[in-house]
Amino acid sequence: MRQSLTLEQKKARLGVQLVLPSVIVIGLLIIYPVAYNMYLSMFKVNLVGSNTFIGAKNYTNIITDITFWQSVLTTFLYVVFSTFGTTLFGLIVALAMNKKFPLRMIVRSIIILPYVAPVIAIVYAWQFFFDPVNGIFIHVVVEMLGLYDQRFNLIGTPEYAIWVAIIFSIWKSFPFTYLMIIARLQTIDTTLYEAAEIDGCSSWKKFLHITFPELYFVLGTLILLRFVWNFNKFEEVYLLTENVKTLPIYTYFKAFTGVMDLGQGSALAVIQFVLLIGLILVYVKKVLKW
Amino acid sequence: MVKLLNICKKFGFFLLIVFIVLFSLFPFIQMLSTSLKYSWDWGNPSLIPAKINIEAYQELLGLGQKSVDLPESIQNLLDETPDITEQQRDAIIAKYLDTGSVFPFGKYFLNSILFSLSAASVSLLLAVFGAYSISRLKFRGSTLIRRGVLFVYMFGGILLLIPLYKISVALGLAGSEEGSVFALVIIYVVQTLPVSLYMLGNFFRSIPYSIEEAAFVEGCSHMATIRKIIIPLSLAALATVFVYSFMIAWNEYLYASVFLKSYKELFTLPLGLKALFVSKNAIWDRIMAASMLTAIPVVILFMFVQKYLAGNMASGGVKE
Repeated sequence: MRQSLTLEQKKARLGVQLVLPSVIVIGLLIIYPVAYNMYLSMFKVNLVGSNTFIGAKNYTNIITDITFWQSVLTTFLYVVFSTFGTTLFGLIVALAMNKKFPLRMIVRSIIILPYVAPVIAIVYAWQFFFDPVNGIFIHVVVEMLGLYDQRFNLIGTPEYAIWVAIIFSIWKSFPFTYLMIIARLQTIDTTLYEAAEIDGCSSWKKFLHITFPELYFVLGTLILLRFVWNFNKFEEVYLLTENVKTLPIYTYFKAFTGVMDLGQGSALAVIQFVLLIGLILVYVKKVLKW
Repeated sequence: MVKLLNICKKFGFFLLIVFIVLFSLFPFIQMLSTSLKYSWDWGNPSLIPAKINIEAYQELLGLGQKSVDLPESIQNLLDETPDITEQQRDAIIAKYLDTGSVFPFGKYFLNSILFSLSAASVSLLLAVFGAYSISRLKFRGSTLIRRGVLFVYMFGGILLLIPLYKISVALGLAGSEEGSVFALVIIYVVQTLPVSLYMLGNFFRSIPYSIEEAAFVEGCSHMATIRKIIIPLSLAALATVFVYSFMIAWNEYLYASVFLKSYKELFTLPLGLKALFVSKNAIWDRIMAASMLTAIPVVILFMFVQKYLAGNMASGGVKE
């Protein structure tokens, strides 16, 4: 006769049963593809039919290509400046919203809108703003301020477009940073500030000695998350301008346009992932000191 | 002196708030303004349209009178060939007057709704049981799963795109409409599932266990407590997770662009908008009106769950 299960075992079995569908879906559609991607990166991939093994050829092709290194540089610029800008602006907004002022609730809902709006729907407003013929930006810098004597296409020029992409990224993601920081701000013990006030501390000193140390960990984590997300970001850059070739966009063009070279695309994705892991390790060691 | 300094400080703070609000809102104002302008008004930097133009909206929503006139040559041709039937005549006229083919907003909207609703529903269903399991039931590997779900943050869309596309081609899914829809929905599910699991898991842990224990004493099974206690107590959290998944699927472009590339009938709004922008029908007022109509549903949805979403995001469970 089969021994009946104890209550604990029954619970455990139910636990496995309930979580299994999720685990299977995640395993099949995330873990397996990542492994498969590494496998593909060593082949000349044909969309239909069999693949040809070519060893490290995809990788050597990539690292001997100057456009790849340009793309790495672009990615760095984009990620570093957008992460720094987002965090700084998010912090300023959080500090401002933590004070009481009239209409605060309405303001707080309004400033979350950039985070919610679909990228595709909002990029055209940005493109229109910088449009060489109709845009307000060009109107202001050329016609009103006279800084330049000719109208120019800001988004169409790669050197300028990257800065537009960075500002767009800050605009799109600062609400998230702000929400995280303000949640932490509200847990800071107010008696600390009262004590500091009695000691005659200025606002700046209070920020430096109370607020900032309390926020150190949450800021560190937010920078890490933002770094990872922006490193992998595709839509926010690609839909705004195809002229800023960060690694995800570079990979997309290699893999899905022209001669669809999926093998090299996979290799690029692997390189990107390894780079990211390396940078994270350095960051975690140096900044978060884990 | 101190008073003056205080006023300056207050004024500076006021300016800061105004700047933050304008910075956040400006692109939306720009979008609304341009969608309501006539083409001769675009170069005018004023945000208030000189004359309100709602043709773009009418055209997209298929309201009002047709804005396209029948070309004269076609009219002449019809008049000179009397032997065609009334039916053929109407078909030809309809073809030339059809503005729907410019940007079939209704169709894309429906596609977007279907993709987002199915992805969000499946994701929520899986997440309710999964989250209950990892937050309430102990078994070997439960800690690993609980911590592991967020590791998925690390993998960017592009890293998964190539293998997933290759797999779906190999399985024959990418070759048919149904297969592509299935592949895309399941991809949206898996994109949102880790975060849904995490958010719901956190929420379920905040429900006192004693309530469930009381139900067990009454003879309820775990499944029954999920149905009778956990779900009714977490309706707000469930709605939040649902809206969150819905928004992710609604806004998604990358995967849709690859999987639906050859199926114009299945285009979601983001794909349609991009196609409109690069087509010869790209006119600013039409693009902006289409953008407005794409953004409005998620903004409205968001307004409903705003309070809970902000709270849940702050407790750490959100992915972009």
